[in-house]
Amino acid sequence: MRRNWAVLFLLVSLIVLAGPFPVRAQEGQSLLLFCDYPARVAELGETVTFNLTLRLTAAPPQTVYLDVKGLPEDWDVSFRGGGNVVRAVYVEPDKDASVSLRVVVPENVSGDTYRWTVIARGEGVSAEFPLELTVAAKLPPRLTLSVDLPTLRGAATTTFRYDATLKNEGDEETTVNLQATAPQGFLVSFKYLGQDVTSLPVGANESKRISIEARAYTQVPAGTYPIEVVAVGGESQASISLVAEVTGQPDLTIRTPDERLSTQVYTGRETPIQLLVQNNGSAPALNVELSASPPSGWSVRFAPERIPEIPAGQQVEITMHIKPADKAVAGDYMLTVRARPQDGGYESAEFRITVLTSTLWGVAGIALIAIAVLVVAWAVMRFGRR
Amino acid sequence: MAAKVEAGRLPREGSPWTGLWAVVAKEMADYLTGIRMLILEVLIVLTAAGTVFMAAENLRTTVGQDRFLFLRLFTAQRDPLPAFVGFLAFLVPLIAIALTFDTVNGEFNRRTLSRVLAQPIYRDALLFGKFLAGLFTLTLVLTAIWLLVFGMGLVRLGVPPGGEEVARSLWFLLATIFYGGVWMALALLFSVQFRQPATAALASIAVWLFFTVFWGMIAQGLAQTLVPVRYGLLQEALAQDQVARALTRLSPITLYSEVTMALLYPSLRAFGLVGMLLQLQEGVILGAPLPLSQSLLLVWPQFTGLIAATVLLFAASYISFQRQEIRA
Repeated sequence: MRRNWAVLFLLVSLIVLAGPFPVRAQEGQSLLLFCDYPARVAELGETVTFNLTLRLTAAPPQTVYLDVKGLPEDWDVSFRGGGNVVRAVYVEPDKDASVSLRVVVPENVSGDTYRWTVIARGEGVSAEFPLELTVAAKLPPRLTLSVDLPTLRGAATTTFRYDATLKNEGDEETTVNLQATAPQGFLVSFKYLGQDVTSLPVGANESKRISIEARAYTQVPAGTYPIEVVAVGGESQASISLVAEVTGQPDLTIRTPDERLSTQVYTGRETPIQLLVQNNGSAPALNVELSASPPSGWSVRFAPERIPEIPAGQQVEITMHIKPADKAVAGDYMLTVRARPQDGGYESAEFRITVLTSTLWGVAGIALIAIAVLVVAWAVMRFGRR
Repeated sequence: MAAKVEAGRLPREGSPWTGLWAVVAKEMADYLTGIRMLILEVLIVLTAAGTVFMAAENLRTTVGQDRFLFLRLFTAQRDPLPAFVGFLAFLVPLIAIALTFDTVNGEFNRRTLSRVLAQPIYRDALLFGKFLAGLFTLTLVLTAIWLLVFGMGLVRLGVPPGGEEVARSLWFLLATIFYGGVWMALALLFSVQFRQPATAALASIAVWLFFTVFWGMIAQGLAQTLVPVRYGLLQEALAQDQVARALTRLSPITLYSEVTMALLYPSLRAFGLVGMLLQLQEGVILGAPLPLSQSLLLVWPQFTGLIAATVLLFAASYISFQRQEIRA
């Protein structure tokens, strides 16, 4: 009897001790793990979510742990369930349990097909499911720059405006820096939507119309001026050659040797004024004709009346003879002097002429007083009583 | 008559200026202590203070910036008071006439003339002295007013006057003195001519009234008759305006007002229709002030006319006085 008790105790302890040990898979027990779309395509940096389903057949309800095998270390992988990051799912038999696998594709991997396996391990049951993610490598930014009319012609004072199209043929947005190499004396600026820009973002497969404006800020001589424009965005760059053809034109200014545009003249008296006609343009001024629009009754003449040629950058001295009307009222008058070359617009300068009346009448007034005093003196002589 | 002709031929002895300054000093002392002078002074100081105070108030509120702010003190007006120059043109003749209308005939009536001439003073010196004393008194009064105006301007406006402003207003003062001189010489002439002071005063006032009220109308009417505008041409209108202006310039009031305008409005360039047409002419810069010399040249005939008229009227009264019989 004592032996029987011992056997019984052994059996009970065996049963009790055997409890925590994994129970061998029994026939018919199975765990099923599957995904609705197991092979996916994603871009770099994209977050991909795989919807996984767990199904338990002929097994008691249990906790199933999930794991991933075969993915590189630096990939961000997490299982999600009910909005939380999870490590295991409690699965009941004949009832589907859903969990999602979230994979963030790193930015720096190469375009390839990545394969890995999701492992689900329960009590005595386990399942594996292969997943596949094809990472499409992005096209690097590729810039093109095109101009409708690369050669423009104009005077030195005009603004050469080239309409250019900047296109990013890559799949990535990039910030494009614009640079220009122009000959000395040219100022090149870039305008986008009316604003001055030096760099601008261009989205993937986007094209932007920019205008390239070249302006000569000094009087450049006539000639052909090449302008190189380079657009640099990241690794890519595009360049274009533009040409500005500057035609010469005369540009006259009228001034005086002492830069004063005012003078004083006496009524009825001819007064000479030295004028300088200067050609600041890039071409000689031919047959420059001088004229003035004086107030009525005035006479204004020039010596010489006509200048055959003023070479570019040179000046010619002429004399203007102003004679106000004999009865001109004293005060300030405006006199407009014009110089008109054979071809081209006229240049005018406004003179402020102060007309002074002669002091001759002042002397006459003094004489009047003198006569009056003489009358008194005569009266004293004639009628004085001593 | 025969005695007078003989006197003209006699060789003169001594200077006619002997005793001149004694007469001037005595006469001025009489003027300045007289009650007549006191009344005139109170009258003119009150008007000056009133008009200039109002003008300064006006300038303080309306004028932001003016190169000739002090000149505006004389010309700016504010209702109900007219401008100071207007008052001067009106008051100066009255003062001048009031001071001199009884200079000579008053002495006659008081029978003091023979007593004065019994002193070693020539007739020349007596008349010169009386006239100069009147002129100096007028100068004194007007200078005092001028200083009063500038002082009030300094206090009320708070800016110092510029050099050209002072120069222009000094010329204006000189013109005012000789404007008074014309009326003073006229009153002196009448006081020599008429034995009754009342007659002399009335005659002077009559001349003044004639020039103040009627001469403008008469000149206009005369010009319309002499140079009629037949076809409505601009030249005709100009010619008529010129004639009318020339006629009105026979009046010292016109001369004085034109001198005043040119001196106190530096941007004035011409009078009458010519000045108005100037605005329509091409190339004319309006509003630019003339230099003082040009403003003076513009009214130099008027200015010298005032001085010459003073001198000639005095000469007339001198001749008239010299030819009179003086017996007590």
